[in-house]
Amino acid sequence: MTVDPGGTPDGPADTAMAVDLTAAPVAAAADVPPELLAQSLGQYLRAWWRRVRSGDSGVLPVVLGMVVVAIIFEIITPEHAFLRPSNLVYIFGLSTVYMVLAMAETVVLLLGEIDLSVGAVALFGGVVAFKLVQQPGPGWPWWAAMLAALAICGLVGAFTGTLTARLRIPSFVVTLGMFLLFSGILVVVLGGANGAVSASPLVPNQRVFYDLVQGLIPPVVAWVALAVVVGAVGTALWRRAAARRRQGLVAPPASLTAIRIVRVAVVLICTINRGTPLVAVQGVPWVIPIVLVVLAALTVLLQRTRFGRYVYAVGGNPEAARRAGVSLAAIRTWAFALCSATAGLGGILLGSFFFGQYSTNTADPGQLVLYCVAAAVIGGVSLFGGRGKPIHGVLGGLLIGAIAYGVSLLSLGQLATPLQYIVPGVVLIVAVLVDVLSRRGSGSGTRA
Amino acid sequence: MPDIPVTADPGETPGGTADAAMAVDLTAAPAAAAADVPPEILAQSLGQYLRAWWRRVRGGDSGVLPVVLAIVVVAISFQVANPAFLSAQNLVNLFEQSSIYMLLAMAEIFALLLGEIDLSVGLVMGLGSVVVAELVQPTGLNWPWWAAIIVTLLACAAWGAFQGSLVARLRMPSFIVTLGGLLILQGVAIIVLKGALVSIGNSRFTNELVLYDIFWGQFEPVVGWILLAVVVGATGTGLWLRDARKRRHGLEAPPRSLTAMKIVLMAVAGSAVVAICNVNRAHFGTIEGVPYIIPIVLAVLAAWTVLLQRIRFGRYVYAIGGNPEAARRAGVSLPNVRTWGFVLAALTAGIAGVLFASWQVSLTTNIIKSANSYVLLAVAAAVIGGTSLFGGRGKTIHGVLGGLVIGAIYNGLYLLGVSSWWIDVVVAGVLLAAVAIDVLSRRGAPRQA
Repeated sequence: MTVDPGGTPDGPADTAMAVDLTAAPVAAAADVPPELLAQSLGQYLRAWWRRVRSGDSGVLPVVLGMVVVAIIFEIITPEHAFLRPSNLVYIFGLSTVYMVLAMAETVVLLLGEIDLSVGAVALFGGVVAFKLVQQPGPGWPWWAAMLAALAICGLVGAFTGTLTARLRIPSFVVTLGMFLLFSGILVVVLGGANGAVSASPLVPNQRVFYDLVQGLIPPVVAWVALAVVVGAVGTALWRRAAARRRQGLVAPPASLTAIRIVRVAVVLICTINRGTPLVAVQGVPWVIPIVLVVLAALTVLLQRTRFGRYVYAVGGNPEAARRAGVSLAAIRTWAFALCSATAGLGGILLGSFFFGQYSTNTADPGQLVLYCVAAAVIGGVSLFGGRGKPIHGVLGGLLIGAIAYGVSLLSLGQLATPLQYIVPGVVLIVAVLVDVLSRRGSGSGTRA
Repeated sequence: MPDIPVTADPGETPGGTADAAMAVDLTAAPAAAAADVPPEILAQSLGQYLRAWWRRVRGGDSGVLPVVLAIVVVAISFQVANPAFLSAQNLVNLFEQSSIYMLLAMAEIFALLLGEIDLSVGLVMGLGSVVVAELVQPTGLNWPWWAAIIVTLLACAAWGAFQGSLVARLRMPSFIVTLGGLLILQGVAIIVLKGALVSIGNSRFTNELVLYDIFWGQFEPVVGWILLAVVVGATGTGLWLRDARKRRHGLEAPPRSLTAMKIVLMAVAGSAVVAICNVNRAHFGTIEGVPYIIPIVLAVLAAWTVLLQRIRFGRYVYAIGGNPEAARRAGVSLPNVRTWGFVLAALTAGIAGVLFASWQVSLTTNIIKSANSYVLLAVAAAVIGGTSLFGGRGKTIHGVLGGLVIGAIYNGLYLLGVSSWWIDVVVAGVLLAAVAIDVLSRRGAPRQA
């Protein structure tokens, strides 16, 4: 009776719980986001701070990281060029690819799986889309080409997902194989080692692809759009919170909703008037609304639909999800399909970022994967599943883009090339280290 | 302590499934106890041995059979497509190319046996090749070749210890640690290379010449035969004496006929290899004899086989790969064994690095970058050879056989004039197929779901 084999694993979990209790006096509140319980701004901030200290820090580390990176690079770059408007816009253009790929990766990471093929699949999708709009050639309209590329990538993802979900082959091996496979197929589609494909800004149909990252919304239109978006989103947020308060449901305090609205406005305004005096480059790049739309769509999908809840459930505890009646295989397969389709969009953006030129040297698919996994993990997505949001991918992508570009701005001579590899490697390991340690400290997961 | 309910015992459910699996197993193999014991230990005659072996193959534990079949199939198909494939010249060439895959696969097996993965072996090899080449440069450090090799291997092992500690002590996922690690290594290798080209092709310097000969040198034909006689004689005598002693002490031992057959098989295979190697394979002049790399690969194979199969460390590796929690409760120090596993993987990759430097002769930044692509081939070779991705199942010999398959595919497709990206596609397909077979055979096997 004394020696119960089931008792031992419970031991460490109990001690972790005890530590948690001292940190957060209200035990039940530990799992509930503070904005749901807080009734005033002060309460909200205190609850948030308590949650940060207990290891569930949300986007705080990545925002702090961005500030630190910005300050450091502003100091050490020659002529303090890092924070120039032109550079900031360039960083944003570069980062959009990482953002979209990191959001794609996030969907799979939430399941506790990983997709190492996103880089290769993204490039493949981009090349397919660019090939389909070639004038002597298929000459498809841009939207059809884009849809076809995303659909093909989605099918690829579904295949990967099937291998992982139904055969239970470890995802990193399947996707490692798919990475190799599509690195090869990519070259084949491009037409050999010297193959290239481009979207010319002179052909209206191809110009759409060229403009995705390179194109700018005229300032006046941007202001009008901004006003409409802020107005619509702000009204919706405010009314939702008010409705909840009226119905007696838990809702964030009114001042917080106001801050959120301001935040939306600030994010958009910051990106508008940054034309350089010499070259009149003004206006919001098209890619900003595109990324925001992807972010909004994935956020709604993951936070508000049943599929999203199932993804979190499977990532948090697959066995519990299975016993609750969730079809693990279906959710996993769909998540991989979604990941690959999103990656395909990232590939189209990548081609656009490189001025509509796609060749075998455009980007190294292996490095892309590492950057986007690092971006997601730095942003706050856990490698172990069940924890993270699409916004984390966006913020992490921005941070990775800033680091990558900042390093290339430094005049390092011979060290420039090696640092392109070393910096993301170190960043990746440190990000995962933080993830592992914070997970250990939080006591929410006991999986070794 | 509250009363433990009698009817609903939480510990019972896993036991139930295990029982069901056991029941299936009982129908397949009449002697239940024999399921976990290799058939050669229980069989008393050659016929019994073969029957027991066949039963084991059908039970999902097929050992090296699939990979040997794969080698035969690959060889026949390429021979049909291009009669030059099985020429003596190409076979030696094929083995030389495969030696890198074999060593990297043997490195990878240490990680795979533990249920981990090491994605950095390719670039550990890359770093090792750069370091060894830089150390012997007459215009630079000008170290003697043996010191350069030792320091290179130590450096690689140290890197393995670093990665192993992160994996073993902090429990970071190994594929992430080694993914980040390979990026860092790529940068470090380029720094060591100083952005320039480093070459060991100058035969005026003894140190460079020795390094060059590791891959490109060969024994005199006569020496090859003598070596073969010595090796077969020594191994055969050892094997025979060991089995005889076991039999005398009343321990379980393979039948005499089997021992004799093993020795004869070894002698025949060895003679074939030496004979093939002794054919003149140069287009102009004479290149004949057994390449040095064959004994090098065999020595590594023998050392790691002994390490994994005969000593306590090896048993711990298998124990952890099979069931880490059970190993921990049995008193095995998981962090130590895991760290050492990564050290040995990196060390073996370092040996591959020395070979790689010798093979490439001149190293550039692009060659270092390309070293990364060998990781996938190493994993593929190990899994094709029969090592499980899930830990606890596999042997060093699997890496050698799997490496031979990968090398044969590369070599054969290259001979047919297939471009390199299509070869990548084929290898990826082979990797996925091998892993799928691994997963499915594991599912069929009774040991673990």
